Amino acid sequence: MTRKQKRLSVIAGALAFLGAATALTFYALGQKASFFYMPTELQAAVLEPGQRIRLGGLVEAGTVKRGQGTEISFAITDQEKSVPVAYVGILPDLFREGQGVIAEGTMRADGVFAADSVLAKHDENYMPKEVADSLKAKGVWQDETARPGS
Amino acid sequence: MLFWIVAALLTLAASLAVMLPLSVKNRQADIARDHDIEVYRDQLGELDKDAARGLIGPAEAEEARAEIGRRILKLAGTKDGGGADRPARLPRVVGAAAVLAVPIVGWGLYAELGSPLLPGQPLNARLQADPAENTMEELVARAEAHLSSNPEDGRGWDVLAPIYLRTGRSEDSAAAYRNAIRLLGGSADRLAGLGEALSYGAGGVVTAEAQDAFKQALAAQPDHPKSRFYLASGLAQEGKLQEAAAAWQALLGGLPADSPWRGPVQEAITEANRRSAAVQKPAGPVPTQEEMDAAASMTADDRTAMIEQMVSGLDAKLRENPKDVEGWMRLVRSYVVLGKADQAREALGRGLAALDSGSEDGKRLTSLAASLGLASTE
Amino acid sequence: MIVETGHFALVLALALALVQSLVPLVGARTNDARLMATGGPVAVAGFALTGIAFAALVMAYVQSDFSVANVWENSHSAKPMLYKVTGTWGNHEGSMLLWVLILTFFGALVAVFGGNLPATLRANVLSVQGWIGAAFLLFVLTTSNPFIRLEPAPFEGRDLNPILQDVGLAIHPPLLYLGYVGFSVCFSFAVAALIDGRIDAAWARWVRPWTLAAWMFLTGGIAMGSYWAYYELGWGGFWFWDPVENASFMPWLAGTALLHSAIVMEKRSALKIWTILLAILTFSLSLLGTFLVRSGVLTSVHAFATDPTRGVFILAILVLFIGGSLALFALRAGSLTAGGLFHPISREGALVLNNLFLTTAAATVLVGTLYPLLVEAVTGDKISVGAPFFNLTFGPLMLPLLLLIPFGPLLAWKRGDVYAVAQRLMAAFGGALLAVLATLLLADGASVFAALGVGIGVWMILGALTDLVQKSALGTVPLAVAARRLAGLPRSVHGTALAHLGMGVTVLGIVATLAFEAEHITIMKPGESTAIAGRTLRFEGVSPVQGPNFTETRASFVLLGAGGGKLGEVTSAKRVYTARQMPTTEAGILTLGFSQLYVSLGDPTQDGGIVVRIWWKPLVTLIWLGGLVMMVAAAVSLTDRRLRVGAPARRAKAASSPAGAKA
Repeated sequence: MTRKQKRLSVIAGALAFLGAATALTFYALGQKASFFYMPTELQAAVLEPGQRIRLGGLVEAGTVKRGQGTEISFAITDQEKSVPVAYVGILPDLFREGQGVIAEGTMRADGVFAADSVLAKHDENYMPKEVADSLKAKGVWQDETARPGS
Repeated sequence: MLFWIVAALLTLAASLAVMLPLSVKNRQADIARDHDIEVYRDQLGELDKDAARGLIGPAEAEEARAEIGRRILKLAGTKDGGGADRPARLPRVVGAAAVLAVPIVGWGLYAELGSPLLPGQPLNARLQADPAENTMEELVARAEAHLSSNPEDGRGWDVLAPIYLRTGRSEDSAAAYRNAIRLLGGSADRLAGLGEALSYGAGGVVTAEAQDAFKQALAAQPDHPKSRFYLASGLAQEGKLQEAAAAWQALLGGLPADSPWRGPVQEAITEANRRSAAVQKPAGPVPTQEEMDAAASMTADDRTAMIEQMVSGLDAKLRENPKDVEGWMRLVRSYVVLGKADQAREALGRGLAALDSGSEDGKRLTSLAASLGLASTE
Repeated sequence: MIVETGHFALVLALALALVQSLVPLVGARTNDARLMATGGPVAVAGFALTGIAFAALVMAYVQSDFSVANVWENSHSAKPMLYKVTGTWGNHEGSMLLWVLILTFFGALVAVFGGNLPATLRANVLSVQGWIGAAFLLFVLTTSNPFIRLEPAPFEGRDLNPILQDVGLAIHPPLLYLGYVGFSVCFSFAVAALIDGRIDAAWARWVRPWTLAAWMFLTGGIAMGSYWAYYELGWGGFWFWDPVENASFMPWLAGTALLHSAIVMEKRSALKIWTILLAILTFSLSLLGTFLVRSGVLTSVHAFATDPTRGVFILAILVLFIGGSLALFALRAGSLTAGGLFHPISREGALVLNNLFLTTAAATVLVGTLYPLLVEAVTGDKISVGAPFFNLTFGPLMLPLLLLIPFGPLLAWKRGDVYAVAQRLMAAFGGALLAVLATLLLADGASVFAALGVGIGVWMILGALTDLVQKSALGTVPLAVAARRLAGLPRSVHGTALAHLGMGVTVLGIVATLAFEAEHITIMKPGESTAIAGRTLRFEGVSPVQGPNFTETRASFVLLGAGGGKLGEVTSAKRVYTARQMPTTEAGILTLGFSQLYVSLGDPTQDGGIVVRIWWKPLVTLIWLGGLVMMVAAAVSLTDRRLRVGAPARRAKAASSPAGAKA
């Protein structure tokens, strides 16, 4: 092989490699990215069975039931619709009624959302960013960050 | 003063960092090519070491040596970069500008951003400062700081509660009294203090809740003057002026000669008697205290309706004649008594606008609002 | 007075940074030695002034000076002293000041240790450092000023976010920033070379120690951050593919690639253009990380207060520096000469392959991190890309790389013999195979994948050792000779072997934890026991504890071995921080050998029990120990003589040493 051919073959190899990686990435994005829904949007959404989604909203007051042992059920609401959620595990420290949460998991056939993780990741207002944005858009929640001095 | 000296010294040091290298005699800059040759020479030495260690084979070493040799030869073929054709003006201008830029940017920007006159305020130093020199606000803040970390300190709440009341923070005062009562037990003074705070919070009205507190205080200490005084005021506000006067009379009889309560009680009795005489007069076009007191003896619904009618009449009058400071004060007070804080605030705003909040009358209205626990909306 | 001195010093530092960004550059263009020489003293003075500013802020925190708004917002008088100090950078303003402090620190290091750089290169490098410094100082002073005052001063602060009240805050951010910002030096070297249009022979040699140092700190910062998240968040995970973790991981991947391509450039003068590009990309990813964290565009545990003006400002800095440097690259790259030739199967070839894998991996992480932003901007859908995505893309990319690592150092330069290398690696391969079989036989229910994973870890460790064995000729020469040869090997060879070994240790830890972890959620009452991974955990009871600025309910457990013997005690707690009334979970961790028992508390039940989540994490500490080994490896490599020399002793040119180098 001449020097030029050699260089071309190396470049072709690298491009093939990159192409494979790109294809893999886009396949994975299509399969593994989970969409974020508020309860109202979830009613309208078309979900494939077993599709992972993230459900965000406020923990509806009075719905938190610590059931048999470690199983917990509650409802996530956006003040218009609410979706029942079932979860086994330890709730995050900042989980409480009326506060914003994001649950990740799948919709069961019976309309209950089976969460395998519940996040109450928060900023200073104990409100996950996605939830805050969506609620603000609905006018349910106002940003009350008054930060004097800054 | 010290700050300015330090700032000046810092500026000087920063300027020197720019100035010193510029003040040295200029020399020919070294040529990058020489550095390259040094590097290649070093690489050759390394190669020899690696070969001696047996890390690379003799053939590979020879090849590498040849390659480095080629690089050195290639370098020798290039021309010297840079050199003598240096414009003399530009560097001098840039140097001077750089030296000047340090103090100009530094002081200019700091003047914009800094607070040079504000001393540092380390917490310890502030807490050790003589309390006598502290303002009331600082004392309150200090007590609050203490109580937020020791919320179970009943003595602290006990001390703080009357201070809150004096500075017009009646709600905080009531909460502090409640804490003190919870932690230290309900002495007559504390319970009466709670009642007083609640009354202030309601714009001077001895509410049912306040009456409760005073009654509990009397249960703890039957001759407690403050409680008896306020309970009597409560009677007067309900329009039971005779009963009130009688209660005050009884209180007065039991008070020692040097009691501070004698004065207020006597005034209250005089006032009650004057008002019992005035109650029979026909009602005027604007609500007077007497009318409102009279209204207190009606059924609750009638009373509210009547007061509201009178207040709206007054409101309409003030729209026509907005310079009436007495009218504004009455209107604001009426709304507070009716429990309509929003309307009171709104009336206050309108009044201040009409009277000009800087004027003497405006100030009177503002201070009234403050005493009623209404913050100006600004 | 102290606070204002700090504020003033910071403003002066900006003034000096502006001088530094222009004067040496003009000097280099006009070949004026005096102008070029200003770079050194100005960089050192800029560092000193930023240091004064930072010290003043720390002082304000230590003294609880609530007249400083930043202190009031993030401190509390009852906070323990350590957290008062670390609280300085536990917030946006303070952490940006730390960022700038480290940036000026590296600038000063270049000034002090760069005495033997060619004068124009040194001047250009310092100027580029000056640009970055000026941009970020301006950012701090105008949008994130930590020295804003309050008058009248409040008497009590609002306390630091309890999650940050931990020793981790003392170590993790400074290490991470040392790593992030350390790459700024590589960036400055790259841009300086592009400005000059020529790459000095020793360029790679000068860049390598800075890359190594930055890489060392970044490795430590990431490992430390991972361990911190592991024990502090109470979820038992060590890596969440959280956007902010990715933000630090991308520069690490690119930096690792840079570390390797710089070797080729130094040894063979090849891959010059690529190395320059990598240096730019690595620091660009660091800047991107700073942007992602500081602007709050992504949801994350790290998002402090977010503020659009700050985001826009950092975005502007980002666009300016990344766009500008890439434009310069496009303009000048053509004028750089290509270097030596090599066969695809060679040490160079192996390093190119390594770069291909690492940069592609960094790209997939970048796509996964930014894709949600992109989708939201375009379609308005909110999506999240989490672990499943990265497992599917990053995993397959890493697997062949890990398998190939042991081959690299054994291949010869220019033209290698892959069969000879494979032969030399037979022992390591045999050892790995043995580990796979042993795992399958000994561990209950081990899947084939788990066994293969263990095999890969062992393969990497043994492969790294093979390198040392081969180079010291152990087994072919007498032991004493071999020992002498081993000690006489260049430090960089030791560093390479150690770093690859550390990577193997980390892989082993990850595989063991993922494959053999046991998890159990249950309700326990005092006195009850539960079984976990062949051991028994007994719940002793709860007791209330009063901390300095929190109250906690502490649950005590005792771990018993299979035979009933006591293995150790562990306590886990639910904590409430008084000032913010914020609850946190303090996980209980018991380390046994390299494995850990991890206990996290849930809510109490009505009948006096408490929900308990228990993990048995076998060999989990290896994950971070591996990181530590990699840090040590980088430190060993840094002491290599070759790197310290930079430019060799200047026998002939002693007189031409640039003025100001000793400042």
